[in-house]
Amino acid sequence: MSEREHRWTMVIDLDRCTGCQACVVACSVENNIPVVGEDEVRMGRAMHWIRIERYWEGEYPNVRARFIPVICQQCERAPCEPVCPVFATYHSEVEHVNIQVYNRCIGTRYCANNCPYIARVFNWFDPQFPEPLNEQLNPDVTVRRRGIMEKCTFCIQRIRRAEEMAEAERRPLGDGDVQPACVQSCPAEALVFGDVADPNSRVAKLVRSRRAFRLLEELGTEPNVIYLKGGEAHVG
Amino acid sequence: MASKVTRRQFLKISGAGLLLLSGCTANLQRPVWMEPYVRAPEETLPGEDFWFASTCRMCPAGCGILVRVSNGRARKIEGNPAHPLNQGRLCARGQAGLQLLYHPDRLRHVLKRTGERGQGRWGRTTWEQIVEELAQQIQGMAPERIAFLTGLLPDYQATLVARFLKGLGAPPAVVYDTQAAFDGRVVLEAASQALFDVPVLPIFDIARADVVYAFGSNFLETWLSPVVYNRAYGRMRSQPGVRGMLIAFAPRLSMTAANADRWVPVPPGTEGLVALALGKIIVDEGWDKSNAELRGFYEGVDVGAVAQATGVPAEELVQFARRFAEAHHPVAMPGDLLAGSTNGLEATQAVEALNLVLGHLGEHGAIFLTPSPPSRDLRKVPVSPFQAVRELVDRMAAGEVDALFVLGANPVYELPAALGFTDALKNVQLVVTFASMMDETAALSDIVLPAHTYLETWGYEFVSPSTDRLIVSAQQPVVRPLYDTRDPGDVLLALADKLGGKVARRLPWPNLVHFIQTRLTSLQLLEGNIAAQDAKTFWAYWLQHGGWWSKEQAWQVPEPSQNLSAKRLLVPSPEFDGEASQYPLHLLPVPSVTFGDGRHAGLPWLQETPDPMTTATWDTWVELNPATAERLGVKHDEIVKVTSPFGEIEAVVYVFPGIHPDVVAVPVGQGHSAMGRWAEGRGANVLRILAPRTVPSTGQLAWAATRVRVTKTGRRRVLPRLESNIGVDRARERGVVPG
Ligand code: SF4
Ligand code: SF4
Repeated sequence: MSEREHRWTMVIDLDRCTGCQACVVACSVENNIPVVGEDEVRMGRAMHWIRIERYWEGEYPNVRARFIPVICQQCERAPCEPVCPVFATYHSEVEHVNIQVYNRCIGTRYCANNCPYIARVFNWFDPQFPEPLNEQLNPDVTVRRRGIMEKCTFCIQRIRRAEEMAEAERRPLGDGDVQPACVQSCPAEALVFGDVADPNSRVAKLVRSRRAFRLLEELGTEPNVIYLKGGEAHVG
Repeated sequence: MASKVTRRQFLKISGAGLLLLSGCTANLQRPVWMEPYVRAPEETLPGEDFWFASTCRMCPAGCGILVRVSNGRARKIEGNPAHPLNQGRLCARGQAGLQLLYHPDRLRHVLKRTGERGQGRWGRTTWEQIVEELAQQIQGMAPERIAFLTGLLPDYQATLVARFLKGLGAPPAVVYDTQAAFDGRVVLEAASQALFDVPVLPIFDIARADVVYAFGSNFLETWLSPVVYNRAYGRMRSQPGVRGMLIAFAPRLSMTAANADRWVPVPPGTEGLVALALGKIIVDEGWDKSNAELRGFYEGVDVGAVAQATGVPAEELVQFARRFAEAHHPVAMPGDLLAGSTNGLEATQAVEALNLVLGHLGEHGAIFLTPSPPSRDLRKVPVSPFQAVRELVDRMAAGEVDALFVLGANPVYELPAALGFTDALKNVQLVVTFASMMDETAALSDIVLPAHTYLETWGYEFVSPSTDRLIVSAQQPVVRPLYDTRDPGDVLLALADKLGGKVARRLPWPNLVHFIQTRLTSLQLLEGNIAAQDAKTFWAYWLQHGGWWSKEQAWQVPEPSQNLSAKRLLVPSPEFDGEASQYPLHLLPVPSVTFGDGRHAGLPWLQETPDPMTTATWDTWVELNPATAERLGVKHDEIVKVTSPFGEIEAVVYVFPGIHPDVVAVPVGQGHSAMGRWAEGRGANVLRILAPRTVPSTGQLAWAATRVRVTKTGRRRVLPRLESNIGVDRARERGVVPG
């Protein structure tokens, strides 16, 4: 496998996101996300790795709603990492992705408490996939058990698959070869994924947009998820 | 177009294609896979993925899909990047299709009622026996006493049903489901007929429009082709050098309206009036130079009266009109809500007329029309208006129907209760339902024929409405059928064979594949994505690519009808069922981005997916304007009763800032008494309390024309939602969101 450094980055264009939820379902399918049911959702324990936050602005009749997809921001300086007593969450220097090692996790939930983006979800119970619903499971992704913390991985299994494929075909990884499930599905093409270490990639160009910002930039977490501001006149 | 499927995956897109192309895969360098001594089933290689191209059937749009299959199991559905309709993308429903296939409560055998109807006591039988028995029963019936009620079926099924009935000499099927009513298909077709002389669905090229006016539209949610319109919306926002703008006129801030630059709330049923006023201003101010002969459209329109009726000040109407007229590529699109009003046809015409008076037809960013299918064999079976369902129910009630076959629809759930379908069913001797799960209608049937899901069977679809291409999308089984199920089309072929005579001559094919292949023969000669010398090769490529599509643009440029110059556009005041004094609020049923018209409520992924506007899951809620909620003395999470003249439901209050104070909105989809463990017994079914009102001009169900009253129950149930739960509000306190 190539050890060339990648800086995987997702760009989320808020001017395009319609709030349609396709990414939410796509992610659930790809990453074997458990369905927790009505009561658990009520307690705030839904386990989606991507959620579309909806903000009301103003009052009737001058009211608007804005949608913001939120995932793990894959921070360069991640507040969740140093608090894990068993190094279950750590930073990958090769991919610049924040990694969660399930079989190290002992469920202290310190990381979730320390994540300012509330990107982490916890398995309070063992997931249920009544037969034959288990057949839907993605064989590339571990099913997590009770007591394990989890969160968006940038679909690391897809990054690996694309790398292996490129290697087998003896070609460099191309821009757009890696598509996390949410990006692949997004009908409004609001999500773009790629390697900012490659100056010609689409993301490398988009992060230079004057609409670009990061969530809670002032915390100094240096997210690898870049948002493009929406809802105002701009061009391109 | 950027293809996101790698070469290696592409070569595996179809089993048939694989065989054909094996010659050219040999020189590809790639890992070697070890094969165990035990022979795996055909088409599976342990650890190796196959990608099969097919067509999504989670709604009638017909998006192209690629299904990842490993070890004989379907693991993921993605959009087919080569398919010109959805270009690789899917919506939330399309993503969830695997759970139709692997739902634990699927029907696995042919079922025959043993107890009373609806008691839920069933015996098993075999396909051979049931075909024999049905053939005997049909033979003993007068053909005109046999009826089919189908939803918006995929073309192959619709065509087989039509031929079957024709062969029998029975009346044509009633083709109706609530999705079609929400789309307003018959209304849109009637409007095209009136303005352009062809009864086809319009296509709006919003991707290249600089100003889009959407009237009562949820085009980003469930309307006609959600993926196409989401993609077009995204592109509209970032065109080279231009950011397109969207303005939404509607009584509720739908997800679509939420994405608009400006939402203009108007009372239900008055969107068409706004369009009339805008047109009037446009002609009065002389923006319509080239189309002066159409001025008669707006004779007698009083902008002041419109301002009064809609609450949109006259000065603002003038600004809206000018902004539209000044734009280079403006487009006005009518939406689902218009079709739900009693003045739907007139309102739809008034909206589309805005494109006409400015002469923006069939050009960059404008309105186009769906072309005819590339061959006669691919003609579509027309959708029936609600009126046809009403007539069917009347005939059933009068004892004029001996056998009712239901396919792709769930009338017991989706029809307004006041129509009396369930009662009328009692007078039908034999009720047969094709279904993959025990839904409400199947539960009241005598015979339930378990159907393949779309991932287990063959099919084709002439995609309509499409994009600018002609598309005949391919459907193929991606896994072996899990249970003893059959495609309804194959059941009809077997029945026809058994019946013999004229029916057998109409359906002479031994199986579905033969039938589909005959439909495709004419395509082989046309210029498209497939170049094949013979039928076999064409078939292999068709499956491999996921369909056939034209090389050239094929959407039709609308030609204004000859008799428009004498036409005056009139939008009558909307009518509503229920006395305003007793039922002070307007009820707006809202089709769901996850459940559609309710048919997908059984899928847990979709149950747990938040509604975009309220972030609610797993339940039914009632959206009330804050002022209305205050007047009624209710808050978030209180249970209220919503009563129409035709029934009542209970649901949880969601105080919704984006809704007209005279309107309550209730999402469609829950309130199932059947359809598996995740659907049953949760929430309420708002469709049941709608007035069964038919609009005379089109026969359409006026589904947004019922008045209701909302009353407190004093009980409470916390709505399971994301908002203020998963730290969304906490996130706001922490300033996760700028500004
Ligand atoms: S799929 Fe795309 S448009 Fe839809 S909610 Fe997700 S990011 Fe937004
Ligand atoms: S719009 Fe969604 S449900 Fe409809 S065909 Fe496309 S992906 Fe399937």
